[in-house]
Amino acid sequence: MRFLSRRALHGLVLLFGVSLLTFVLAELAPGDYLSRLRLDPTVSDETIELMNERLGLDRSAAARYFYWLRSVARLELGYSYQSGEPVAGRVGAAARNTLWLSGVATLLAWAVALPLGLWLAERRGRTEVALASGATSLLLAVPDVLLALALLLLAVRTGWFPTGGMVSLGFAELGWSARLLDLIHHAALPVTALVLTIVPTLVRHVQAAFGDVLDSAFLRAVRGAGIPRRRRLLRYALPAAANPLISLFGLSIASLLSAALLIEVVMSWPGIGPLMIAAVHSQDIYVVLAVVLASTVLLLFGNLTADLALYALDPRIRREGE
Amino acid sequence: MTILESIPRALAILLVAAQLACGAPGSEPAPAEGPGSDSPSASLQGTPGGRLVAALRAEPGTLNPVLAADRPAQTLRYLTHSDLIHINRETQLTEPALAESWSVSEDGTLYTLRLRRGVFFSDGEPFDADDVVFTFEVYLDPEVASPNRSLLIVHGEPVRLEKIDAHTVTLRLAGPYAAGERLFDSIAMLPEHLLAAPYAGGTLSDEWKISTPSDRFAGLGPFQPSVYRSGESLTLKRNPHYWRRDSQGRQLPYLDELVLRFAPSEDAEAIRFQSGEIDILSDISAGNFVALAASATSAELSLRDLGPGLAYNFLFFNLNELAGDDLPAVAARQEWFRQLEFRRAVSEVVDRDAITRLVYQGLARPLGGPVPEGNRLWRNTALEAPARSVESARARLRAAGFTLGADGTLRDPRGAPVRFSIVTNSSNRQRVEIAAIVQEDLRALGIEVQVVPIGFQSLVQRLLETHDYDACILGLGGGDVDPNSESTVWLSSGSRHLWAPAQESPVTSWEATVDELMTRQLTEIDAAARKRQYDQVQQILAEQLPLVYLVSPNVLAGAHRDLGNFRPTILEPSALWNVHELFWTPSRKKP
Repeated sequence: MRFLSRRALHGLVLLFGVSLLTFVLAELAPGDYLSRLRLDPTVSDETIELMNERLGLDRSAAARYFYWLRSVARLELGYSYQSGEPVAGRVGAAARNTLWLSGVATLLAWAVALPLGLWLAERRGRTEVALASGATSLLLAVPDVLLALALLLLAVRTGWFPTGGMVSLGFAELGWSARLLDLIHHAALPVTALVLTIVPTLVRHVQAAFGDVLDSAFLRAVRGAGIPRRRRLLRYALPAAANPLISLFGLSIASLLSAALLIEVVMSWPGIGPLMIAAVHSQDIYVVLAVVLASTVLLLFGNLTADLALYALDPRIRREGE
Repeated sequence: MTILESIPRALAILLVAAQLACGAPGSEPAPAEGPGSDSPSASLQGTPGGRLVAALRAEPGTLNPVLAADRPAQTLRYLTHSDLIHINRETQLTEPALAESWSVSEDGTLYTLRLRRGVFFSDGEPFDADDVVFTFEVYLDPEVASPNRSLLIVHGEPVRLEKIDAHTVTLRLAGPYAAGERLFDSIAMLPEHLLAAPYAGGTLSDEWKISTPSDRFAGLGPFQPSVYRSGESLTLKRNPHYWRRDSQGRQLPYLDELVLRFAPSEDAEAIRFQSGEIDILSDISAGNFVALAASATSAELSLRDLGPGLAYNFLFFNLNELAGDDLPAVAARQEWFRQLEFRRAVSEVVDRDAITRLVYQGLARPLGGPVPEGNRLWRNTALEAPARSVESARARLRAAGFTLGADGTLRDPRGAPVRFSIVTNSSNRQRVEIAAIVQEDLRALGIEVQVVPIGFQSLVQRLLETHDYDACILGLGGGDVDPNSESTVWLSSGSRHLWAPAQESPVTSWEATVDELMTRQLTEIDAAARKRQYDQVQQILAEQLPLVYLVSPNVLAGAHRDLGNFRPTILEPSALWNVHELFWTPSRKKP
């Protein structure tokens, strides 16, 4: 419990620091939300001044930041200059979509990486390991954007997959199973892009972690005792290799989130990526703050999950926590 | 350029790749239709029903027409509301809308409008003069701060609206105003019965957010908001009380539903259009238009090239009076920029044909003046784009005392090398490409140019506040055809007088002449006299070159071939201006 409260406190301090830094950086950037109108010949300076007052842009930066902190306390996360609505609803919906995409991609990536990494660790020095190493190197070298574009090209070329969006237009009229299929159909390409982005790193780490364990004296003793392979790997090797993999799990969530931002923009997935780009371009500053905050919360959540798992599995960490 | 800024370009490359991959070897690209005739086409009788899916570049900020500041929200205002007098996007002239007729007093200051009878809002409540009075009160209220408020300030005073009876109103202006009828076009009539209470309570800006339930909304446009999916789409349903009928007396619009799908970029829109997920698209870039025309699915598409629109690109130099010791390096370079012969030499050496060909795939028109060909009513047709002549440009510079050094660098009369930078907004890839071509062209004169693409907000700050720039490539246009729509650019006191904004008194004699002519045409009721005055303005601006006019891009649009009455225009909203009469032909009916 003490461990949890300490982590929660760290998280709060981090969130405050991130929000303050983001706000300061946004303030330092030239121009503001009304810059676009300042070049519009049909909008007078007087009108722009009135809009400036209505949006509260005439107040000092400190006043606006404290206003935003108060709205965070009300769980509104400020107002969008563009829509006039509390930001929380829109960012919440976008973060949910990003979480959905990243969550599925994380599960799939680990489902592929764990057995593949283990299989490769057992076959050190063989041809298939060299081939797999080449393939992962190639995937690591391909930029995420290129990967996403290649998949988009596949969608345009074949018509098998939608080229954007999360659901079809008639989604509301579908039954639950058809809805699920529709979601999967739309998520297939972005999820594939994300999985291909993260799998090479995971495979290499899993392979290395199991490689160390399989070489260890205790596992050679286990093998010598005649314990069957399956039991040897699951009962003895997996727990021994778990620590670095659990830490990697937390890091993989961070990598997936940053990759998702890019892939969402390319594949028109309605997550926090496109929302953030639009907000940054228009300098809708409270939306930017909320999106950054939402991303930080998702990162903290990933790391906390990994820490809790380590805490539960490793008595040494439990003792440190006490 | 950041990786995120490079995404649109990457998508464009993808579209071309898709085109190459899909096009059957040897197959002829489907011909895109060229610029249409000037006369309006007759509308076809449509078949009711169906759903049309259109693209919207971003989510609209609001459903509230009074606060519509971004372009998607302005498109939405067009689709869900109506005005009193409307600018027909096809003829570019005004036509009756909710006001079935009007008259203007002899002195041009009093408009009497007779409202259409039997008109109902989408919630079934009747529309009358009280709604009109309420609407103007709201738009003019400084507390509401509507972006359209400035349109209703004529000669420095707000217009005054009075109700005569339930179906007659008068509008009084502080003085005669040549574009009086066009004032009404973007003023959406509001339902007093729904908005009077929030307006009185000071909460009007909280009304009609994008997520507002449809039963709290009422408009006089062909559609009304129905379902909003954050980040995905906004579905509009047919307004059963819409006031327009077709020539057979049938209620419009024909379509049951209009779905606006949000796409994060023009390239993403084009990809979704090509794959059939979007039925109708405007604002297609030249590159995507060519790719779509050559794609395997082009037979399913009706692609229209409408010729040059109202938008135009130009280069201009910093001619601001820089105060004190601010920016001494820029001030030194301004000595070149202030010389007319220098600006003329730059204009003559710029290869507008190359810009047209390389940046716009031939889908643009070189410019010789500030009004593009798309503006049929007001363009001075005597002004042609100058032919490129390096020799003539060199001669001009020699006459002005510039010399070519042994190293090939142009030097000013004091021997300083002529070097400057051109800024432009990095988010507009065509402008960055134009800047690169201009850079190459100026090299032929021995001028070294650095191209500096920067963020838009940063650009605005440099142009209007710090004046820390040498030259800039920018674009204008896309609004109305009337000269007054750009008066703040041409008047020396205007805050958008880009090369030297907000002058207390005109710095040059030619700017004083332009001021006088622009002010005179503002109040000139005789259309022919007004045209002559504006022609003179254009002539002066073409001779003095405060802006080096470059090209006007063509307006490009497309729709599924089975969409009836698809007649895009150069005025916004290009493909959807006649949404009330769009329909699916029997060969393809959407669900």
